[in-house]
Amino acid sequence: MGWPFGDDRAAMRILNEIQRVMRLIMLLRRQRGCKGLKSGEGGLMVVLWNSKESYRVDHCRPLLDVSGAPMGTDLVFGSIAAAGPWCEGFATGNLKPGFTDLIQKLFPSEDQGPEPDQEELCGFTHMHGPIHLLISFQVKVAKQFDRQEWPFHIEAFLHKLSLTNARVKIHFSCKSYQKRLQRIFSGKIQCKLTLKDQWSTFLDVTSSKPGVSVGERPWCHGGHPVPGERVSLSIPPAAMERGLYGELSLQPVALLAPCVLQYPNLATRLTHIQVEVYGPSNVPVASPTDFLQQLSVHLNCEELGIDGILRWNDPTDLQPRGGATLPVEAETGPEGGRSLASVEQSLTLLLFLHHMDPFTSELYDVIATEELLEHHLEAILTNNRQAVTAALQREIKSILNAHRRRSKASERICSAFEVISSSALSIVSSSSNLDFRAACLSNMRVRDTHGLSQALREAQVRVTSWKFVPKARCYPVPQVKEHITTPGHEPKAVLYIFTIPL
Amino acid sequence: METGQQEQFAEIDKLRDELLTNIKCDVEPPKQLDSREVLTRIENVILGMVATLSKDEAPVLVLPSRSDWANVSFDSAVGLQMIAGSSVTTVRSDCPLSVKKFAQIFKILSIIYKLVQSNSYATKRDIYYNDTQLFGYQRAVDCIVDDISCMLQVPRRTLHVLATSKGFLCGDLSYLEGDGSRVNCLSSSAAVPVSSNVAGIKNIVSSAKFVLIVEKDATFQRLIDDDFCSKLCPCIMITGKGFPDVNSRLMVRKLWDTLQIPIFALVDADPHGTPLLSYMSYSTQQNRHHTDCEAMSFEAHSLTVPSVRWMGLLPSDLQRLRVPQDMLIPLTQRDESKLHSLLRRPYLASQPSWQKEMDLMRQNKVKAEIQSLSAIGPDFLSKVYLPNKLRYGGWI
Repeated sequence: MGWPFGDDRAAMRILNEIQRVMRLIMLLRRQRGCKGLKSGEGGLMVVLWNSKESYRVDHCRPLLDVSGAPMGTDLVFGSIAAAGPWCEGFATGNLKPGFTDLIQKLFPSEDQGPEPDQEELCGFTHMHGPIHLLISFQVKVAKQFDRQEWPFHIEAFLHKLSLTNARVKIHFSCKSYQKRLQRIFSGKIQCKLTLKDQWSTFLDVTSSKPGVSVGERPWCHGGHPVPGERVSLSIPPAAMERGLYGELSLQPVALLAPCVLQYPNLATRLTHIQVEVYGPSNVPVASPTDFLQQLSVHLNCEELGIDGILRWNDPTDLQPRGGATLPVEAETGPEGGRSLASVEQSLTLLLFLHHMDPFTSELYDVIATEELLEHHLEAILTNNRQAVTAALQREIKSILNAHRRRSKASERICSAFEVISSSALSIVSSSSNLDFRAACLSNMRVRDTHGLSQALREAQVRVTSWKFVPKARCYPVPQVKEHITTPGHEPKAVLYIFTIPL
Repeated sequence: METGQQEQFAEIDKLRDELLTNIKCDVEPPKQLDSREVLTRIENVILGMVATLSKDEAPVLVLPSRSDWANVSFDSAVGLQMIAGSSVTTVRSDCPLSVKKFAQIFKILSIIYKLVQSNSYATKRDIYYNDTQLFGYQRAVDCIVDDISCMLQVPRRTLHVLATSKGFLCGDLSYLEGDGSRVNCLSSSAAVPVSSNVAGIKNIVSSAKFVLIVEKDATFQRLIDDDFCSKLCPCIMITGKGFPDVNSRLMVRKLWDTLQIPIFALVDADPHGTPLLSYMSYSTQQNRHHTDCEAMSFEAHSLTVPSVRWMGLLPSDLQRLRVPQDMLIPLTQRDESKLHSLLRRPYLASQPSWQKEMDLMRQNKVKAEIQSLSAIGPDFLSKVYLPNKLRYGGWI
């Protein structure tokens, strides 16, 4: 096994195992030609737990720390199980003869670990049916591993995985020393996404309530992903030397949340841009990329119409790996506060990598190629900096068009409100008709014209901001429909959208 | 008066007698609104807005549609008038596309309120300069003032907003302006601009036998140069320099009300000149830029003179006078469709002779300007054409 690994690399090792299992499942599904709604459902269980053992270099002399005490190492055990229609028939039929060999190659016996607790497996099979794939592994970690936040990285990774595999319920359990972490990832509102030359994927577009100010008003519970234009990427020489060939491209998909389409006058404020990268098998990239972290430096915020400055992640912040979160720092504007009600929105950019190499067809080679691709991702993105930045700029600008329009509309309305209020007030103030004045004040429940001015403004903002125009494509409180999108255009047909209860 | 003059105006005098006899006694002018009523109507709009907001609903202004022919009815004694239950357009305050217009309307309402309250006046130009950023263009103010007139269902002049006059007068006429200044069109060597405050004009003195409305300023100037008003004295000439503005129309109506003399129109024999005729008579206007059949309908009683007679240039004159072919212009497709549209107007039913002339224009497929008469002779218009028309009753 070698010397104990550092915390960071151990977390990466665990992530890599999960990635490898997921890639295997996704590629096997494609090989089987899995289509149809039901074939995408199922469950994925990821269980992690640890144990202590002392480590001996030569099995005779213990390793000592600086104080002279024996240095301890831990083992983190992991099991990944898959059940349900989405992985049915992997080890049967035509696949069976090569399947066992493939598993052996991907997951060597020396890295295999014990199976998880049977009780935990029972609960999983009870929910999703018999397990079709179970991989167990172990990873050596340093003694101080328990003090780190490594489960957070795993959890974040699984969350990203669930975003593009919304029909698979992901059960995550981590028992580390005195800590126990359990999460279930499942898509409430799902949207089927079909990109050109790629398999369909189900995105979890569940969206949170747009702030407390919405109150009891109806709101859209999901987002509406917008596919962008595909960008061809050139493979740098270093990656080619390592065996990465073929055609490589990147397709962005943008998702603004929460959706406020039904409130055309509601102003919005972008709080951050989240960028996530997915490999050709639709598995999230786990390696960090400086390119994405520093994307804010290369994007033109003014052209994008963002009201603020796009920052980048502080490397010391505990952020999930593989993607980037670019917060928008609001610019301090002039005092006034005269604006319509607004909600905060976030923009998620999903970058799907697409790779085609006609000379790579064996599953093991495909998985290895994808791992190589991830390994060289930083260099690939850097090598295509201009094209990628321009593409992202274009997509962000396009998706934020609505935001800019709202901004302009909001300004227009606010500016008009000032005139309307002051004109009405001017007439009320100068009128000698006592009945008229009294009626105006009593309607707005105020005592004087000063109060009337304030009340009129507040009422105008309230009434106009929350003007509701229902949209057929929005997701009301639980219904059952399915929504299909095509690349770069509005949906060809809206059939039905369905929800999967937790 | 000399015998020659008596003969010159014999037909005109006959026409005048006929007009005076035919004035319908049962057509009463609408009750004049006092300023308090105008203020109350504005207050009702404001109260409506406040009441709507208090119910957490977005205020909406409802404006009668000014371009829908279905919203007017025709009375031969008055002209076009608005009917109840007309189609409307709405201006919403919660829509970014219409909120600006909503604000413009409220702004102008507040300005009008102050003007009426203080019994002062302002021109549309003054209102525009009050807030050029809000209004953008002068035309926006012009349209909204008309919209407010329709919305409140009051005559334009009760809003105390004056239009800038572009018309001119000359001839046997003198009067006192609202500010007390005396105007004598006869003594002035040049034409006198039409007053901006026609309603304020008093003490009109004239012995004119007729009023001649001249469409084009060029023709008007030509007649002045030819000393037409002296040769065919006593008479009054007025021009709106194209389509007459509100003040020019008010002036014509005021002259009719005060002097009760025939009013003749001298327009081009084309599909654009004839609508001017109906505009002066019945308060309608339709040209390729603007359809506004109802804009002035509240003012019909003070703006229209249904007894206006078409003196020339008649399409039948072109044949009768043998106007040279090279002065005749073929009708374009647009001209023909406009003519077709004019022939369907309700007021033409009461003017069969006008209809006949327009039919002739359509059949011959040619049009001509008044200037075409100069091809017959340089002074033909002032020395032959008009004097003969007046002497022998060549009007319809």
